[in-house]
Amino acid sequence: MAPLDWVVLAVYLVGIVAFGMWAGRGSRGMNDFFLAGRNMRWWAIGLSVMATQISAITFVGTTGQAYTDGMRFLVFYFGLPFAMVILCVTLVPFFYRARVFTAYEYLEQRFDARTRTLTSLLFLCGRGLSVGVTLYAPSLVLSVILGWTETTTILIMGGSTIVYVVYGGNRSVIWTDVVQMALIWFGIFLCFGLAIARLPADVSMRDGLAMAQAAGRLNVMDTSLSLRTPYTLWSGLIGGLFVALAYFGTDQSQVQRYLAGSSLTQSRLSLLFNAFLKVPMQFLILLTGVLVFVYYHFQEPPPLWNAPVLARVEREAPAELAAIREKLGYASWQRREAAKALAADRARSVEYARAQRELDAVRAQAVALARRVTGSDYNDTNYIFPTYILATLRGGLAGLVIAVIFAAAMSTLSGELNSLATASMVDFYKRYLRPHASEAQDLFVSRVLTAVWGVFAVLVALRARQLGSAIEVVNRFGSYVYGPILGVFMLAVLTRVPAWAAFTAILAGEAVVMTLAVTGAVHWLWLSVAGAVAVFACGLLLSPLRRRSAPAAA
Amino acid sequence: MDEPHDPVPVFGTWPRIYAAVVVCAAVVMALIAVFSRWPW
Repeated sequence: MAPLDWVVLAVYLVGIVAFGMWAGRGSRGMNDFFLAGRNMRWWAIGLSVMATQISAITFVGTTGQAYTDGMRFLVFYFGLPFAMVILCVTLVPFFYRARVFTAYEYLEQRFDARTRTLTSLLFLCGRGLSVGVTLYAPSLVLSVILGWTETTTILIMGGSTIVYVVYGGNRSVIWTDVVQMALIWFGIFLCFGLAIARLPADVSMRDGLAMAQAAGRLNVMDTSLSLRTPYTLWSGLIGGLFVALAYFGTDQSQVQRYLAGSSLTQSRLSLLFNAFLKVPMQFLILLTGVLVFVYYHFQEPPPLWNAPVLARVEREAPAELAAIREKLGYASWQRREAAKALAADRARSVEYARAQRELDAVRAQAVALARRVTGSDYNDTNYIFPTYILATLRGGLAGLVIAVIFAAAMSTLSGELNSLATASMVDFYKRYLRPHASEAQDLFVSRVLTAVWGVFAVLVALRARQLGSAIEVVNRFGSYVYGPILGVFMLAVLTRVPAWAAFTAILAGEAVVMTLAVTGAVHWLWLSVAGAVAVFACGLLLSPLRRRSAPAAA
Repeated sequence: MDEPHDPVPVFGTWPRIYAAVVVCAAVVMALIAVFSRWPW
């Protein structure tokens, strides 16, 4: 990176920490620290909800996925707008009127303390693990671009976020999210615009889209009914609906954002704001990845996107890599010529598709070689976009895009740390240990718990390298626990089942999800559906048993 | 607590906003389907 890029990145990092501390000054108790005094407006909460959901993985992983696999991942968001409407009608009014700090507090009002505790514990497990992966993804980017180790990146990013969240709590989180989301939107339009501008003069956007289409990169609507096929229209609409219901309705990292609204109307509007904008925004990000794919038609792509691994393969298997480079050069030239032919005559798509397949085959050989040399399940999808940024952006823009990736990571991390501390504090410390402590003591413990979760996130991030493609990992963690959590909230709101049946149903539902996950019987997008349905069905089936055997107890 | 005088912006009532969100989502998905199959 050029010196100007470093300056831009440093200004962002120092500026966001200072702003976060300024915005969060004056917290006097848990209501200020965890719910920003319950006086926030819909647009600030809406941007915060959006920023919390957009992690750095959205930039790094999704663009890379669009490059290698196309835009199919977009269907994951198709259920989201419908989920927002359902939540505005059902759960949001319940939470708001119950004046709770955590979603799980409501379960004690409806069922009992152990149901609340178990659900909160599931949230802490799922979110606690994913928060580490959220922190890990940007470290991949910076290990390539900045030449830092992943450990250094994790420590700088985690440390700076921990500082302002520990100091200012939810008010810092929401206001920094607003700034970070503005920066992220700017970054999305910048990357999209530059991706178009970087196409060769004789290749129009329409030509580029024709190439992407011939290579299968524009496929979105897969109507296959298979439960194992990833990202079908149905898994997106149904599975995505349940994932969104669970995430926005029962995950404390999101619930806490809209509980800070000054009224129920403000809380609802913040969710509907996301319902309108989420799918178009994700479409733009994926299309940027597709345009990066088109860009590399006219620049020879490297055999491997991970530069350190490429250097290692170069050292340990130079002859084999040289042979692959030679084949790659030829296959790239062939594809370039086929692309030019396709641009001039759309009837040449068969030749183009053949050239693309040959290039993919050479690339598969390079990946197989990297796997053999490193002895790992090598996957460099997450390195594609950073390599592109480094190759094309000048004049401080690379630093700005890196700052955007930092912003995406820090906005997610801040919301998650704040919510993990809230659940630990309200559902465990205040519930079981010190229910009558003073406001000052509560505030102090809340800050300590935030710091503890921050350190935990850093430790998990340092171990995340062993996991697969980051984009799926984060979502997969959630799918193991969000379905059963959603199921118990459905029981709470829609039925009159007793507490013991709800508690047993959660355990049964979690067993079903883990069985499906371990056996790989369904794609992970269906796990939330399975978990929610299993808990709901078990609750309904168990409910009459105790009534029959012990009617007096009812 | 929800204030009785907190108005519902632009659309006037909640059902109208919800209907607008659903229609908008359906239109966006239809446009994406057209985009992905358009003979570029």
